[in-house]
Amino acid sequence: MASISESFSRIRQGLLLGIAFVLLIVIAGMIAWLVEQSTSDAALVAHTLQVQNTLSELLLNVRRAESGQRGYLFTNQQHYLDDFNEAAPEVEQQLQELHDLVLDNPARLAEAARLKELTDAKFVEMRRTIELNQSGQREDARALVLGGAGRDLAAEIRKLTDGAIADEARLFNERSNRSRLNSQTLLAISLVGTLLIVVIGGFSIYLVQRNYRQRELAQRELESTNANLESIVEYRTADLQEANEEIQRFAYIVSHDLRSPLVNIMGFTTELEMLRKDIFERVAKLQEDITRLQAPVEPAAADAVNDLGKDFDEAIGIIKTSIERMDRLINAVLKLSREGRRQFNPEQIDMAAMMKSIVDSVAHRAAESGTQIEIGDVSPVESDRLALEQIFSNLIDNALKYGRPDGGHIEINGRATATQAIYEVRDNGRGIDPKDHQRVFELFRRSGVQDRPGEGLGLAHVRALVRRLGGHIGLSSELGKGSQFTVTLPRRWMQDKTRRSAA
Amino acid sequence: MNSQISELPVEIVMVEDDEGHARLIEKNIRRAGVNNRIMPFTNGTEAVKYLFGADGSGSVNKGKPLLVLLDLNLPDMTGVDILKRIKTNEHIKRVPVVVLTTTDDAVEIQRCYDLGCNVYITKPVNYDSFANAIRQLGLFFSVIQVPASD
Repeated sequence: MASISESFSRIRQGLLLGIAFVLLIVIAGMIAWLVEQSTSDAALVAHTLQVQNTLSELLLNVRRAESGQRGYLFTNQQHYLDDFNEAAPEVEQQLQELHDLVLDNPARLAEAARLKELTDAKFVEMRRTIELNQSGQREDARALVLGGAGRDLAAEIRKLTDGAIADEARLFNERSNRSRLNSQTLLAISLVGTLLIVVIGGFSIYLVQRNYRQRELAQRELESTNANLESIVEYRTADLQEANEEIQRFAYIVSHDLRSPLVNIMGFTTELEMLRKDIFERVAKLQEDITRLQAPVEPAAADAVNDLGKDFDEAIGIIKTSIERMDRLINAVLKLSREGRRQFNPEQIDMAAMMKSIVDSVAHRAAESGTQIEIGDVSPVESDRLALEQIFSNLIDNALKYGRPDGGHIEINGRATATQAIYEVRDNGRGIDPKDHQRVFELFRRSGVQDRPGEGLGLAHVRALVRRLGGHIGLSSELGKGSQFTVTLPRRWMQDKTRRSAA
Repeated sequence: MNSQISELPVEIVMVEDDEGHARLIEKNIRRAGVNNRIMPFTNGTEAVKYLFGADGSGSVNKGKPLLVLLDLNLPDMTGVDILKRIKTNEHIKRVPVVVLTTTDDAVEIQRCYDLGCNVYITKPVNYDSFANAIRQLGLFFSVIQVPASD
């Protein structure tokens, strides 16, 4: 449930962030567009000012030319013509400039054309008066001026120019208004954009922090769960250790206390035996005495005494063998319990050398039964030397003990994985019935024909040791074909096992 | 301080809860020709009472040559405690203590010697060995010098 609502909220977060980023991109586009717009607005405003300026200068130059012409006509002084001559090309040039400037505005272009016409006409009139005056026809020139055609032209030029300037002023206002509006819009959108960035940033920070908090919370939960788990494991391990110790102590005490009555049984049985000797000696002596007294003893009576002696001996013999056997069993339990309490000393062990020394120690027996023992590739391992010696001595000893009497063959092999060292002891001997595969590892349990000495201890001991070393032992066998014992051990000594073995 | 060897015959205090064992031990000691008085106790409390007296000071045995045969597994206390008390008592600390028990645990043996036990013997189940051990112990008893308690 929690995970579904969480994934929903994650999708919602993503969606929100996505929308916010799209908005940001739109705003950035708008800002770019507005900046572009305001640049072109500024250019237009500058353009308007330029047109106004050109018009003003044009008018000024026309006036200058006119005042030069008038001055010359009035004073007949040649230097007045300088102004006229200077103004004329400038007017030409300014008309051209104006034409170029107003190409974008058809109405203004028409006005510019009209202005050019008027200006040209004005200059034609002025040149004509100047030429007339230069050629001495002063009166004609004066009459032309007085005729008022030039003045009308000038007036019209001024009217046209003023109109255009005023119109340009209107355009200027319009454009600068628009430019201001653009700037304001730009400012507003920039502010909105900034605000949006702040909001998105804040939201992102909030999300990151919330995620971080959630992760931290989850981690803490995990840690506490782990710690809890560890303490549970520790608790259980301690429990098991305690139980194990209890069993070891129990085995020790029981076997120990069992020995005590055994000493008595054994002791008094022997005492009885000694008594029997005394009694029978006395009986024999009595018989002798009777014989000496000439009283014939029936042979049957002597036989009866003999039989009685045999029965006595048999009973005591059985009691004593049983006691000895019981003593061996108790000693075995004691040994196992003592082994269970022994502390391991892990070290790096050259298994090939160890296997060789074990095989050497049984070489004599192997030669007697004609058994071949082969040691293959066995990898080294970090473990307890004594324990491994006991394990493999037992396995090799068993292989020899239950091996084939003719042409026995024992193979010792090994291999290693990343974490485990595996050893196999294989023989071609009598094998173990599948129904006994588990039983043979139990204390005092044996399998097959009981024609070999033993108490059923070896494999129980081996399995207990392998387990304490942190490994396990497996058996595959078929009756009459042989057995294979596989011992799997950790390649490296594990720390917690030292604790287990210390228990 | 009386540091001379006692003229009195040594008395053997046998602390052994198993009456059968006690009987077998006594038989075999006698067979070795040891005729000293043997005081058998089948539990720790009585043995302690005898060794240390009613006041628990041990002064009752002052001047008496004693030898203690001690089993470790007693019904009411462990023999180790008795050993410790004997070896820390000012009057009877020099009394030789022979621990005769079924335990052959190395740690236990070490502990007893650490506490001042003089001889530690494990009872063998095999009776021949047992009888032999006790007889030798008897021979040992017949030759060792035992100081009188201070």
